[in-house]
Amino acid sequence: MPIQINKAVVGKESPPFVVTVERGRVKEFARAIGDPNPFYLDDRVGQASEWGDIIAPPTFLTTFRDGADSATFLRELGTDISRVLHGEQEFEIHRPIRPGETFLCRSRVVDVYEKTGRSGPMAFVVRETAVTDPTNEIVATIRHITVIRL
Amino acid sequence: MKYARVYAEDVRVGDELPPLVKGPIQQIQLTRYAGASGDFNPIHQDDEFARAAGMGGVFAHGMLSMGFVGQAITDWAGPAAIRKFGVRFAAIVRLKDTVTCRGRVLAKSSKDDVHLVDLEVWAENQRGEKVVTGKATVALPSRG
Repeated sequence: MPIQINKAVVGKESPPFVVTVERGRVKEFARAIGDPNPFYLDDRVGQASEWGDIIAPPTFLTTFRDGADSATFLRELGTDISRVLHGEQEFEIHRPIRPGETFLCRSRVVDVYEKTGRSGPMAFVVRETAVTDPTNEIVATIRHITVIRL
Repeated sequence: MKYARVYAEDVRVGDELPPLVKGPIQQIQLTRYAGASGDFNPIHQDDEFARAAGMGGVFAHGMLSMGFVGQAITDWAGPAAIRKFGVRFAAIVRLKDTVTCRGRVLAKSSKDDVHLVDLEVWAENQRGEKVVTGKATVALPSRG
């Protein structure tokens, strides 16, 4: 018996959350990928660069999440983590991110649709997160598609 | 040379990025990526959980493979070159898999001194199966 996904979440905005970028976390993220790029890892190279400090790898934006929110969100959808896969991911990046910066993240569900694939019926939940800096300039947009095996 | 500067004038449609080979994937890297990214889904850590979920065992975070592809792009274009980067996770990456990241120039455009290059990017496993497919747009400097 397939589970039912709660489509009423479409349009729903999660409570905004604030992220402060930590220097050690930027470096550990690059190391976890196995990316030795000195612009991510070496403070002296960063200081001498056009950005004046190390910058974060492009996919570091994936760490901009509200930990408390995800289990609640899955419950609200009518599912749990064992059914969830990552379908697609997209970043629009307007400028690099440096340690010490603080950003405001606002996420909302933009679409929920169902499709039947090779492995059976699936629901796709599309979420967008707008990342802005303290001057209210958009820094990045994150688009995340979660796949739920029904 | 690694991290050499690529200029917009030197890029041609059809050019390929230098391939980047990552792996073989080990459990410790998935554990480390979980800590670094904050994605602690047990499906990437706990074999029993992953089997019970019908996935046949643990597999790598999609975002780790996207990170590999990101590395292939920034190695070529520069660490802050990416303006847009989107992927679909086409197949699962398992422990011991090798992931080769590739890319190809699809189009070039210039407007108001901003030089953009559109790329088709993908990653494939050791059997040549695509595990990630996507597109990216990078901004490159001009010689002028």
